[in-house]
Amino acid sequence: MRGRLQSFLSNVLAVAYKEAVVMRHDRAFIGMVLAQPIMMLMLFGFALTNEPRNVPWVVLDRSQTAVSRRFLEDVFVTGYFERARAVGSYEEGRARLGRGQAIAFVVVPEDFGRKVLRGGPEVQVLVDGSDPLTSARIAAYIGEVASRFDPERGGARLARVAAPEIGAGEAAPLEIRQRFEFNPTLRDRVFFIAALAGMLLTNLCLSASSLGLVGERENGTYEQMLALPTSPLEIVLGKLLPYAGVAYLVLTLATLLAGITFGIWPKGSWLALYLVTLPFVLASLTIGVFVSAFARTTAQAVFITVFFILPSFVLSGTMFPYQLMPDGVRQIGGLLPLRWYQIALRRIIERGAGLEEVAIPLVALSAIFLVLLTAVRRLVKPRLG
Amino acid sequence: MNPRRLWTLLVREARATWRNPFTMTILVAVPLAALLVFGFVLSTEVERLPLGVHDASGTASSRRLVAELAAKGTFVPRAFATREGLDHALVAGQISAAVVIPPDFDRRLREAAAGGAPAEIQVLYDGGETVLAGNSEAFLRTLALSTVAELSSGARAQAMGGPAAPSHVSPSGAAGPASGGVRVVTRALFNPKLDGSRFMVSGTFGFVLSFLTALITAVSIVSERLSGTFEQLQVTPATSLEILLGKILPLGAVFAADVVLMVLAAGFLLGVWPEGSVVFFVIVSSFYVLTSLSLGLLISATSATAAEAVQKTVLFSIPLVQLSGFAFPIRNMPAPFRWLAELFPATHYIRVSRAIYLRGEGPLSLLPELSLLAFFTLILVGVALRSIEGRE
Repeated sequence: MRGRLQSFLSNVLAVAYKEAVVMRHDRAFIGMVLAQPIMMLMLFGFALTNEPRNVPWVVLDRSQTAVSRRFLEDVFVTGYFERARAVGSYEEGRARLGRGQAIAFVVVPEDFGRKVLRGGPEVQVLVDGSDPLTSARIAAYIGEVASRFDPERGGARLARVAAPEIGAGEAAPLEIRQRFEFNPTLRDRVFFIAALAGMLLTNLCLSASSLGLVGERENGTYEQMLALPTSPLEIVLGKLLPYAGVAYLVLTLATLLAGITFGIWPKGSWLALYLVTLPFVLASLTIGVFVSAFARTTAQAVFITVFFILPSFVLSGTMFPYQLMPDGVRQIGGLLPLRWYQIALRRIIERGAGLEEVAIPLVALSAIFLVLLTAVRRLVKPRLG
Repeated sequence: MNPRRLWTLLVREARATWRNPFTMTILVAVPLAALLVFGFVLSTEVERLPLGVHDASGTASSRRLVAELAAKGTFVPRAFATREGLDHALVAGQISAAVVIPPDFDRRLREAAAGGAPAEIQVLYDGGETVLAGNSEAFLRTLALSTVAELSSGARAQAMGGPAAPSHVSPSGAAGPASGGVRVVTRALFNPKLDGSRFMVSGTFGFVLSFLTALITAVSIVSERLSGTFEQLQVTPATSLEILLGKILPLGAVFAADVVLMVLAAGFLLGVWPEGSVVFFVIVSSFYVLTSLSLGLLISATSATAAEAVQKTVLFSIPLVQLSGFAFPIRNMPAPFRWLAELFPATHYIRVSRAIYLRGEGPLSLLPELSLLAFFTLILVGVALRSIEGRE
């Protein structure tokens, strides 16, 4: 029994050694491992965000008073908008919205100046609702300016707060003191970069294992290895072992880069981070083995991998909050390892969670891995060409 | 160019594509899956969100406030006896928002009704989930303000000795005693319910037609070259232009069919039909397919193996898809990224597709974008043709 285990281990390690040597000479692979974290970090750190900026808007100021101009100036200084363009008529404003030249259209009624003195001033805001995230936020910014607008003083200057709220602007007998924990200014960057490792490792593990196995079969080297006293299971495990190592390297690299460039260091325990990564990496590698069982050629393998990766980014909650998805869609996403891994990542990196708080994702990931492993052991038979 | 030779090549290519079950599956499954996945994921409606509540007041009014927050199914309150328990649940992600009601809430509320300083509650959001936090904030604020307005009007009536008016509901939009502040009447045009599926569906066309088209074209040509059939075709009397057209036109037709399939699927499965003309949309999209086909050609010309072609396409497509405004508005990006995005044909196609789908724009107002798109297509087709000729 002990002898069998020993030979099993030594076979796995031998294949792993061979794989590591091959990998070290694969320039394209090393390039991908190093370049992808940097590219994704740049994209999600600098370029991609849902925070509105440079918003084009048009204004129909029927009141033409100093106080109405001050109100419009207050909206502009929030920093989300471009300089407003004045339109001559209501129809022209509507037309500009229709042509996508403006996202918001503010109408100040004729009696605005009078109503400011007597109470109950009102403005009308039309927003282009086609991009819901943008329009909800823009309406909220204008609403926030309006609710704080004080005609007596110079007008309240709104700090950069995100407060989506459509309508409302009433002095209420309640003051809501609110705080956005873990991310006070609601930067999208934090949301994306916290889950960056999840995206990178999905890319890496899935393509490495599916391509590696199919490529071996295509080249005929799989056949050669089967002729050795190694079992298919040993070959698969041996091939995947080095990738697990590379996955940890990528995780460390991405975490350090995010910390150095954007100051987003994990607030929680590194131990928890590394621990929860293990079942995720194993599960992702196993999905790659699955793909390799279905794909006949490397090109097909990449196809399947790509079209698995993209929806899993979306459904897992890495790019959009999964909490808001409709029933059914949300539950399907729960079957993806990336869902649980991104939950764990956000807890550890943003909120400073320790091992105890990521116990549920850890168990879920391990369960997914075990189910996949059982399935893969039935599926992967020595198959030639 | 000989029309009969071209026709033979066309028939051959159509048959080859038809007989390849993998390609056929991809061509049908990927557009449909993309529509369904992207059509459902972008939602701004907050529903049954776990809300932590630490009610240090424990009075009728504070319980009323919590009950109102739970009433419409927006939030599901979970009581926490201590502030520590609440903070811990927020870290562990069990709750996405939390309300802390101070011990003096009821007293302060009565004072506020009598003209004193407003009562206070504290609300904490999980800022890590930016979109979720932003949206739940809107709902929570509206609900809390309207409930408290109602409570305090009851309290005011009591303070004046009259009967409480429990049935009087004052929604937050209604004009109150305005002490500064401007009331805003907001209306969302083109999409009054702020439903995300229209936005995402109109972008998905850009995603599928850019990515899938380039991918399939590149792989199909490289595979042909690898299996040697490309060379066989070259020794026939057919010119390289004919071979190329014979390869590309059937693929173009297949993707044009894909556009129709997607329009129908989006309409019948998701209830999203274009606001503008369907015919115009299909024509523009079929034209855009040409751009992606040329891109696929270019990739195939520089790749030695099919796997290499796929990897190149994927690597190229990541920034293309992300920067083209498919998921994130280009407007929000810093300047250099915005300029870069303008160089992608996909950016312009997605803009046109959204204009037709969401705002029902016609050919006239879209003329600048359309001519830019045509310009890109001409350049790409030209470069692709040249690169193929260079290989002979």
